[in-house]
Amino acid sequence: MTLVLNIRDLQLAFKSWSGTSEVLHGISLTIGKGERVALVGESGSGKSVTARIVLGLLQELRGVQISGSVEFQGQDLGAMPDRERRALRGTAMSMIFQDPTSSLNPVFKIAPQFQEVLARVTPGISMSATRVRATDLLREVAIAEPERVLDSYPFQLSGGMNQRVMIAMALANRPALLLADEPGTALDVTVQAQTLDLMRALVTDHGTSVLFISHNLGVVREFADRTYVIYRGNIVEEGPTRDVFENPGHPYTRALMAAQPKITGGGLPDLVEGDRHYLEPRFVHEGVA
Amino acid sequence: MNTVLRHTARRIGTSLLVLFGVSVLIFAIARVIPGDPARVALGPNAKQEQVDQLRAAMFLDEPVVAQYGHFLSGLARGDLGVSLYTNRPVMTDIADFLPATLELVLVSGVMMIAIGLPLGILSARYRGRWPDHVIRVISLLGVSAPAFVWAVVLMLLFAFYLPLFPIAGRLHDSFDIPRVTGFLTIDTAIAGNWAAFGDAWRHLALPAFALALSGIGQAARLTRANMIETYEKPYIEMAQAYGWPEKRIANRYAFKPSLIPSLTIIGLDFAALLGNAFLVEAVFGWPGLSRYGVNVILRKDLNAIVGTVLIISAMFILVNIIVDILTVILNPRIRKADAR
Amino acid sequence: MKRMTTILLANPLSLLGVLLVGLVVLLAVFAPLIAPFPDHRGAVVDFANFNKPPGWPHLMGTDVVGRDLFSRILYAYRISLILGVVVLAIAVPIGVTLGLMAGYLGGWWEYGLMRLTDVFLSIPPLVLAISIMGVLEPTLMNGMLAVTVMWWPWYTRLVYNITRGEKVEGYVLAAEVIGASKTHIMFREILPNCVPAVVTKMTLDLGFVILIVSSLSFLGLGVQPPTPDLGSMVAEGAKYLPDSWWLSVFPGLAILIAVFGFNLIGDGLRDILGADR
Repeated sequence: MTLVLNIRDLQLAFKSWSGTSEVLHGISLTIGKGERVALVGESGSGKSVTARIVLGLLQELRGVQISGSVEFQGQDLGAMPDRERRALRGTAMSMIFQDPTSSLNPVFKIAPQFQEVLARVTPGISMSATRVRATDLLREVAIAEPERVLDSYPFQLSGGMNQRVMIAMALANRPALLLADEPGTALDVTVQAQTLDLMRALVTDHGTSVLFISHNLGVVREFADRTYVIYRGNIVEEGPTRDVFENPGHPYTRALMAAQPKITGGGLPDLVEGDRHYLEPRFVHEGVA
Repeated sequence: MNTVLRHTARRIGTSLLVLFGVSVLIFAIARVIPGDPARVALGPNAKQEQVDQLRAAMFLDEPVVAQYGHFLSGLARGDLGVSLYTNRPVMTDIADFLPATLELVLVSGVMMIAIGLPLGILSARYRGRWPDHVIRVISLLGVSAPAFVWAVVLMLLFAFYLPLFPIAGRLHDSFDIPRVTGFLTIDTAIAGNWAAFGDAWRHLALPAFALALSGIGQAARLTRANMIETYEKPYIEMAQAYGWPEKRIANRYAFKPSLIPSLTIIGLDFAALLGNAFLVEAVFGWPGLSRYGVNVILRKDLNAIVGTVLIISAMFILVNIIVDILTVILNPRIRKADAR
Repeated sequence: MKRMTTILLANPLSLLGVLLVGLVVLLAVFAPLIAPFPDHRGAVVDFANFNKPPGWPHLMGTDVVGRDLFSRILYAYRISLILGVVVLAIAVPIGVTLGLMAGYLGGWWEYGLMRLTDVFLSIPPLVLAISIMGVLEPTLMNGMLAVTVMWWPWYTRLVYNITRGEKVEGYVLAAEVIGASKTHIMFREILPNCVPAVVTKMTLDLGFVILIVSSLSFLGLGVQPPTPDLGSMVAEGAKYLPDSWWLSVFPGLAILIAVFGFNLIGDGLRDILGADR
């Protein structure tokens, strides 16, 4: 199986004048072609920064120390010049953010923002060509009136509509890897479920690999082939989603499962902070998804 | 566009109210003058009956409210009274001197925006790195000295030591340009006298820049602060995650949202140029409203003081109305919200 | 407080600001001890030494009647600083109180006070001060008065905006529920939340008051000779450009240093307190 993403022993620390704070303590994670992989953990566990390292967004900040390797389609991102790494963004990999409405620029209509997205692959694409292509893409995400949406500002559209626009933009250039950072958490549960179904159908169609970052176990169970559980910058358990859910091996994962409150799985309740069992070595489920 | 019109009408309405308040305020200030303005105007040697005559002509023997009534009815007819200093209608004086000041302020305002905003954008784009530090220090220096200090420094450097620009005035004496608009950069062009046209611009350059410097600093600082706030927004992260060119993000996608909150204050700074023009005109011998204003104030020339301040305030309010309308045009949220 | 000072001094630009302001304050306070020719602050004439370029013993040269420029600048600093402090000491309490009232009491208070503020803010600051000075005698006291009159509305608007936001916060509602008086809520509950923004603005404004006062006297509408004032020194010196450049350049530089110092500190404070409004 060819690996789309191969993260090995990734460590991350932020250095500031008051000292160094370590965020990731050497995590390893792989995603195969067309595979949907979830990274689950509570907030502050280091899931979001992982996605931002893959995109190369963190590397450009000052005071950020990164070690370990991130390989994308066999190429080491760390060894790549900045310019080549940037060239991958929005083309070979793209991202969906937590709150679709605030992730779209409020003072520009959808159409010009779509133009920027498409221009990553077709530099200098005209507005009329943008509209033709964008209309198709918006139909793909089940938007009935693409013309109206293109001429709207984000605040004129509902959250679910903006989420569809985001998904259309994310998949517009047929990326090999899609990073989804808590997608739709800001939306109503039903709307969130609808858009996630849509997203799953599309990535399956296009054979897109997905790194799905979430704290919502219910959603993860529905969506992912394989699951990694992250706790305080360490991967504590990994394996096929079914195995992880049905037979959690690590104390932290078990606590997570036990604490999951409702069918909707709104979020993580407080776990007993710093239980020493949570720091046990990682538990790996062998087997195929 | 309908909403824009409606907004404009509403804004002009409240502005007229404010302008009315301003006229009351200025009138009140002008009437607390110690001493008898008629006596001051005529000098100590004038006979008492002459003074009494003038007092009657200026309605000074009537109650203050009645005086204000006379002032308002005159204003409605475009009559601000006669200046005791020039013996001409205040309106005529202002029409004479205002264009020079407006020309200076407009060019200066354009400099402020054309230089200040790009500096702010650059500073925000390279925040924490050396271009940012350099721009921050320069813009802070710009706002840290009054316009007359910059006027003196610029004059010394670029008119005396390096004689690139003329020292004072609006146009070389050898040119004789018929007055059409009072704006020499326009009148010279109308006259088709291109040598004079160039000369007018050369005269304008230093005073306008001296006047603009603090505004440039202010605009750069404000733009930087608002842009940095915008850079924290998710839609900028999204643009970066999608690999949109950094320059385009800065100049377009981060700039426009941060311009909207900056506009009001930039408008205020633009309007403040009207006051600071007094300082620059004095250094460069610029024949604008300033010299007239200072002279009438020193001579306690009531009508002229009230007229000058009222006209300047009216311009000030006008600039603010324009800025307000621009904000509505730029901000789709207001524009579209009103439409429903 | 101590921590704040540490952070402030850790920023090189703020540190520079503190040093500049410290220098200016020291020079002003100890002017009688530092100034080489203390009596030159007044109407002294020394024709033997008129119009001397910078050198020894006249560090910054002498003016057209032979007075030592450096000594006069030190005394001018004294007057500028006193003016700045007095103007803010009067304008800030007035502006803050009116802002609290407009923001908290609402209704007609809000409408009346804010329209009044609009009127004052609708006249360019310098023009308002100029017209007030125009009708009054140009003296130090009146200059102070004119600048104070133009300054309070800015604080009213600032505090008004903050108060409107705080008024709906839980702690205010809680105080209302237990029956605290309006005065108590305005001054004890809401006011502390305005302090960071007000202090930051005051630091920046100290510089700007110096700037405005010097502008007034530059136009001949402020401090009158022979009292030394930076603005009128620049105005006087500008007549003798370019030959006696020091007459206008040094007083101008003196204004720049003082205002720059206050602005650097104000910027630093704003970064720490986040009082960006």
